[in-house]
Amino acid sequence: METAHRKHPPYLWIWLYLALLTVAEVVLAFELPLSQNMKLILLLVLAVWKAALVAMFFMHLKFERWNLRVLALVPLPLAAIFILAALSEKIW
Amino acid sequence: MTSHAATAPAGHAHHDDRSFIAKYVFSTDHKIIGIQFLFLSLFFLLVGGVLAMQMRWQLGFPNQPMPGGGILPETWATDGVLLPEYYIQLVTMHGTFMVFFAIMPLLVGVYANFLIPLKIGTHDMAFPRINMASFWAAFLAGAVMLSSMFVPEGPSRAGWTMYAPLSARSDLSGVLLGQQLWCVAIILLGLSSILGSLNYITTVINNRAPGMTWFRLPLSVWSLFITAILGLLALPVLSGAGIMLLFDQTIGTHFFDTTAGGQALLWQHLFWFFGHPEVYILILPAMGMVSDIVANGSRKPIFGYHSMVFAIVGIGFLSWIVWGHHMFMSGMNPTLGSTFMVTTMIIAVPSAIKVFNWLGTMWEGNLHFHVPMLNAVGFVAMFVIGGLSGVFMAATPVDMPIHDTYFIVAHIHYVLFGGSLFALFGAITYWYPKMFGRMMNERWGKVHFWLTMLFFNLVFFPMHNLGMGGHMRRIYDPTVYDFLDPMQGLNRFISLAAFALFAVQAIFAVNFVWSLFRGRKAAANPWRDNGLEWSLPNPAPHGNWERVPTVYRGPYEFSHPQASEDFLPQHVPLPGDQEPASAKGAAQ
Amino acid sequence: MTHATIDMMHPPAPAEPGVQAYNLKLGMWVFLASEVMFFTGLIGSYVVLRFGVGEWARPGTVLNIPITALNTFLLICSSVSMVKAYAAIADGDQKGLRLWFLLTILGGAAFVGVQVYEYLHLVHSGFVPSGVRDGSELAERVASGALPAATMGLYGSTFYTMTGFHGFHVSCGVVSMIYLYIRKVLPGKYTRQDYRGVEVVGLYWHFVDLVWIILFTIVYLI
Repeated sequence: METAHRKHPPYLWIWLYLALLTVAEVVLAFELPLSQNMKLILLLVLAVWKAALVAMFFMHLKFERWNLRVLALVPLPLAAIFILAALSEKIW
Repeated sequence: MTSHAATAPAGHAHHDDRSFIAKYVFSTDHKIIGIQFLFLSLFFLLVGGVLAMQMRWQLGFPNQPMPGGGILPETWATDGVLLPEYYIQLVTMHGTFMVFFAIMPLLVGVYANFLIPLKIGTHDMAFPRINMASFWAAFLAGAVMLSSMFVPEGPSRAGWTMYAPLSARSDLSGVLLGQQLWCVAIILLGLSSILGSLNYITTVINNRAPGMTWFRLPLSVWSLFITAILGLLALPVLSGAGIMLLFDQTIGTHFFDTTAGGQALLWQHLFWFFGHPEVYILILPAMGMVSDIVANGSRKPIFGYHSMVFAIVGIGFLSWIVWGHHMFMSGMNPTLGSTFMVTTMIIAVPSAIKVFNWLGTMWEGNLHFHVPMLNAVGFVAMFVIGGLSGVFMAATPVDMPIHDTYFIVAHIHYVLFGGSLFALFGAITYWYPKMFGRMMNERWGKVHFWLTMLFFNLVFFPMHNLGMGGHMRRIYDPTVYDFLDPMQGLNRFISLAAFALFAVQAIFAVNFVWSLFRGRKAAANPWRDNGLEWSLPNPAPHGNWERVPTVYRGPYEFSHPQASEDFLPQHVPLPGDQEPASAKGAAQ
Repeated sequence: MTHATIDMMHPPAPAEPGVQAYNLKLGMWVFLASEVMFFTGLIGSYVVLRFGVGEWARPGTVLNIPITALNTFLLICSSVSMVKAYAAIADGDQKGLRLWFLLTILGGAAFVGVQVYEYLHLVHSGFVPSGVRDGSELAERVASGALPAATMGLYGSTFYTMTGFHGFHVSCGVVSMIYLYIRKVLPGKYTRQDYRGVEVVGLYWHFVDLVWIILFTIVYLI
């Protein structure tokens, strides 16, 4: 069974990481002289990174069985399919 | 050799002394909830049918006073002649009630609830109170939708598919409150569906009896499981779309308002992204239950069980990427349309596999054409016709002339009535004893089947011809077009057959109600079937089993060489059968 | 049917190991999958609509970025306190559970409070779901060309719908947590052997935080 003190993921480090990424996002959005498209891509990357940290560590997905990860992630390709298909209306 | 009677793990789970309200009204028992859904959906099936009869009157006898039309208010009919504004409301609400409040709850609300715990060998759903909430949300949704019929302007006029901008703007449709109520009802129904799916998925994954591995699950359970996943992921998109539509109507948002940057086509993408998985929700459970019944009626194992499972999963998977075939004529991106054409043709393959497997099951079987078997075989035949017309429509160039014609109406009704509803007639008859402890009358069941089969085909087959001839959908008065004149006789014929079809359903209704009180009392396993539910007395008791059964084999072991009878239930061990590992020390 | 000897956090496997999650946890993940699809509908529509029009109001010209950035940080903090609460009870620390759980509730309530304040402020300045209110301060800025007239309607529609439903979900989370706090946390009903409710409400809370991380980026910063 469990020991007296279970080993937990480093939650406070993750919290710091998230805080830094948030600051990075705000700085990126306003201060950096990049093109609109570049900013879009970088901001999306940062957002997804933060979301992944929350999912992996706070929601413990990293430590769950593989099929629970699959279950949790199944809606994502569906979301992508929908958005890509609907977006294609404006590019022809 | 083993005898079944000696090993039946039946008996009451525990003494049931709850009040009437707790037992039958606010019940958390999955079986009662299933029966509640049954009565709710049969009611709405009747409502949908009554609406259809009025439509058929107008189409068969345009602009003539309808018998009984005098009772309709002035906004709906003038001296018994249906008004066009009312006709389009009939069209809209017929589709709405039938899809959302009749067929969907009949297949899912009734049978997912009733069958899943019984067939996987557990006491109840994983979350019984959420299950109860799911029923009452559906009830509330139905009440709201029904109420939309009675507000001053009447119900929505935008067709069951609610296309914007007609659905978003009351200045175009002439209806505001009724339209808003439609949105509210659909949002509530979405919630009901999601809560239900959540239960079905969790229960099937986690609560199967020891020995009930995935590939020993009956196909009815497999199909209900995949259906639940489709519902879980598709209904929220519809709810979201319904919310956006409601906001466009009430608080002035512009999602679908092309004058302010919105996109009408966005509604179609949202709706059909939900809508296509929805139609597979409307057919997969029927297919699953038909598999169970056909195996039983053939006294043979289902042909190709594994391919049946993969077909169900494949259909579920592919159903997400075909939705654009409803939009070929919408003006959408043509390249996108081509990809949808390809995926739609591919999805015909797993469905065809299933048809061949049903035929393979029956081939050289010891066929017993009891009422459920008749209906199940009828399903296969009618579904083939509906599926074939689907292949026509999958090809975009062919869809161009037949889109929004009666060819589509024929297709829809061959798969939904010829398919789902026949399967339901079979399923209701089949599991009736487990629900109510009595049998439905066999002779009248057969009469109902044959008459329904006859009139159903007389009503809907000619619609293929109408559609090919250019007869458009949702039209109030076909006589305004000269080119439709030669087909008006066909319209009249269809209407007369439709009245007969509707009248014949009284046989089923009377049989159903009469048998509740005077039907022959049923033995525990009247169909001599293998599923776990048949090991319980009729009706099944609260809590199902005292101790859950152990499963030793799949559900289709008919005519097994080592069995003394031509069936071998899943829970009956043969000499040499090993106890499944999970049975040792497992929790209840 | 007694559960005295059963470890409820890891109940015995039924027919097969499956996902190795007890019913409540599996149920919550399944529910969250449906919530992803719900937000997909709303957020996806925003993406599609915005992509399909011309100029959109530039970040910070309508919405208050600094306050919302702080609010985002607050929500992330409440997510951390939630996971600390979970870690506490996993170790059997009732006091830690009570503290961190309460902090989570306060963080969540504060987030909602700030959002409501922001909404009131925006409405006051003329930004409403249908776009820009006639005669308002924002309407003047549109007239002067500082804001694009053609897309403000969509901006209002999408902003309020997405953030409104997110706020609704946060509020439901706060209410649920208050209920659990009073009925289960304070009386010490969660133990090291069984803290399923904490884990499961935590999953919901982290999800709500996750959605906000996406929303903040694509609604406020882009």
